[in-house]
Amino acid sequence: MSNIYAALEIGTTRTVLAIGEGETGGRLQVTCHAEISSAGVRKSQILDINQVTQSVKGVLHEIERKQSAAGSSITIGNAFLVVSGQHIKADPFTGSALVDGRVTEADLADVAESSRTMTLPKDRELLDIADQAYSLDSLGGISTPVGMAGRILKLDTLHIHADKNRIEDAKTAADGAHLEIREPLFATTCAADAVLEEHERRNGALVLDLGGGSTGYAAYCDGYLVSAGVIGVGGDHVTNDIAHAFQTTQGQAELLKTKEASALLGKAEAASARVKVPGSSPLMESRTVSRRALDTVVNARLRELFAVLRETLEEQDLLHRMHAGVVLTGGGAAMRDIDELVRRELGMHVRMGRPIYVDGLDDEDHPAAFAAIAGALAYAHNNYAEKSIFGFGLLKGLFK
Amino acid sequence: MSDTISSMLLIGIGGAGCAMARNITHAFGENLRYVLTDTDAKTGEYDGPFVLIGGDRLSGRGSGGDVVAARLAAEDSVQALDDSLEGIRLAIIVTSLGGGTGGGATLETIKHLSERGIPSCVFATTPFAFEGETRQRNARGMMTLIEEAASACFFIPLDKVVGDPESDMPTAMRRAVETVASGVTLFWRLVEKPGYIRLDAERVRHLVAGAGRGRFAHVSAHGEGRAAKIVDDIRRSSILLAGSGPVTSILCGVLAGDDLRLSEIGTISDGIRETFGDKASFELATVNDDLTFSGRISVIVMLFESTHQETEEPKGSEQARRRRKQRAILSAGPTGRGRFNNSEPTIWNGEDLDTPTFLRKNISLEF
Repeated sequence: MSNIYAALEIGTTRTVLAIGEGETGGRLQVTCHAEISSAGVRKSQILDINQVTQSVKGVLHEIERKQSAAGSSITIGNAFLVVSGQHIKADPFTGSALVDGRVTEADLADVAESSRTMTLPKDRELLDIADQAYSLDSLGGISTPVGMAGRILKLDTLHIHADKNRIEDAKTAADGAHLEIREPLFATTCAADAVLEEHERRNGALVLDLGGGSTGYAAYCDGYLVSAGVIGVGGDHVTNDIAHAFQTTQGQAELLKTKEASALLGKAEAASARVKVPGSSPLMESRTVSRRALDTVVNARLRELFAVLRETLEEQDLLHRMHAGVVLTGGGAAMRDIDELVRRELGMHVRMGRPIYVDGLDDEDHPAAFAAIAGALAYAHNNYAEKSIFGFGLLKGLFK
Repeated sequence: MSDTISSMLLIGIGGAGCAMARNITHAFGENLRYVLTDTDAKTGEYDGPFVLIGGDRLSGRGSGGDVVAARLAAEDSVQALDDSLEGIRLAIIVTSLGGGTGGGATLETIKHLSERGIPSCVFATTPFAFEGETRQRNARGMMTLIEEAASACFFIPLDKVVGDPESDMPTAMRRAVETVASGVTLFWRLVEKPGYIRLDAERVRHLVAGAGRGRFAHVSAHGEGRAAKIVDDIRRSSILLAGSGPVTSILCGVLAGDDLRLSEIGTISDGIRETFGDKASFELATVNDDLTFSGRISVIVMLFESTHQETEEPKGSEQARRRRKQRAILSAGPTGRGRFNNSEPTIWNGEDLDTPTFLRKNISLEF
């Protein structure tokens, strides 16, 4: 049976909508996706619901247009929502259960239930609970405790939660475009689910989701998600710094960032090169600035971001456990030489993320930018495929 | 029509924008070259050159107030304007924000003009308060984008223009159109009927390009002491005094008949510069039209707050570097957070990460 899902990502710089289709138990295929520039979002948070609604309408238009061109017609009624922003936090919580002699399946159910009793403040909304390892009395790091002897069984978890109002804003914006939000999902863990190999999770890997308004991170060790969070600095900050340094508009600064700048300093070809800053109107003369000055602005911002990240991970004693290295996802991963900068700043092997559990995105120039939305579709497929007669009931209309 | 006048084009965009443009051209006469464009085919049923945009996407039914649909429609077919742009050196756009086409298609049109090397000056009305928050939000959202894309722009709040809420609708709308028309036609009047102090079309084009966001007012007076009265009215103009930043350039048009005296020009010029700062670049030109303005003086003052202008610094000097850095700090605003001013701050070890890193770390830039 074929199941169909939609996922929506309202980012700071772009709004993306994707449709995935897959047989129950089979791989998921992204059949159509569209993106348009976002408006009304700053630092991954909605500042103008009406503008965001317009953006959502825009991607719906585009999807419909693409489907129509392909000879099909659908009306998307609801979608999974990919969220980011520094309001997202992750807190550990441990559930426990008393064991009568040896651990049974019932004990596992009890400890799982206990681990979900963490009380969140009223203004927080739970996005995900990631199970980690079990411990039995003083013995930790157990993956399958059934049959083992002991008295107290514990399960460590990581609760990922978000500001309820921020989620509501996104739902309201989508609702304005007649799109119902099924479930909010954390962008970075979605991206990780899309790009990480199993051996990377086991050996320790850090996924860095470089977004326009914020940077998400998710650290995996021994197969478990052990830490996650969001730093409220993203590609927009780089653009903003360039705009201030060279007195240009944000649009021109964005062009300088994406077309000219390097994350690294001191490249031989950059030493004496100059970069053209176009005039802000047809009659304003263009001028040139030192490529070194441009790279200095970009490098300073990115090095600071990775220093914050490094400190965050060191505080949790995680940095030295990331043996498989760093995987970069998000639109910011397209920045020139950013992989080399991460390698130098964090001292780890770095690779670009590419969705490996979802098909249909291979032709993208920069598949890392679609990791989060691919992960959201994969999540939907893995968790809901067998629970709905019509896939997930995501589509109001039928295929023609 | 002279070549210089025909190098300027009036573009009406959207239903309301086209209606305003049509009124302006009827009032000004045949010397004003114009084109109307809309997503609604009905707009083209009246007289005048008309370009339907988004015909394939919207089938000529209009955007239904949907800014995104209008933007996509304009993206599809803005090239349809190209025939009208032959020989054009400056475009004056008239539109109304709050609905779909006025906002969405205007932005794409400005971008298209820019790609063709044609600077654009936008006159856009913003909705009455009673039109509701949705239209107000639509308008606010587009204002930011238009301000960034256009060479110069004027946003004209209809509530302020109409003033008296007890006005009947025809009177209110006539006043709104007259206000927009006074600003729009200044460019043509300056070129078509130059007085003793003249600006040609190329100079007008140069003034508009990069002028930034502006505001304007139109005042008239007659009789004894008319120049002083005009200065007094300008000094009390709530619209002119309502700027958000320092005035970087001023364009003043003095429209009068043969009886205009040199001393009156001096009074008006001095009064404006004293009021709005003598550091702003100042351009004054006269229009001589005895048939229309005999016995009275009309003055149109345009104030611009450019964020785009840049002057060349001597390269490499320490002084230049300091000056650039100081300017960067100033442009980041009093808190240095720039575009993140209204966002939740990102604080790390006591530092506000929204402020540019190179400023906080005191990193010198070799420009």
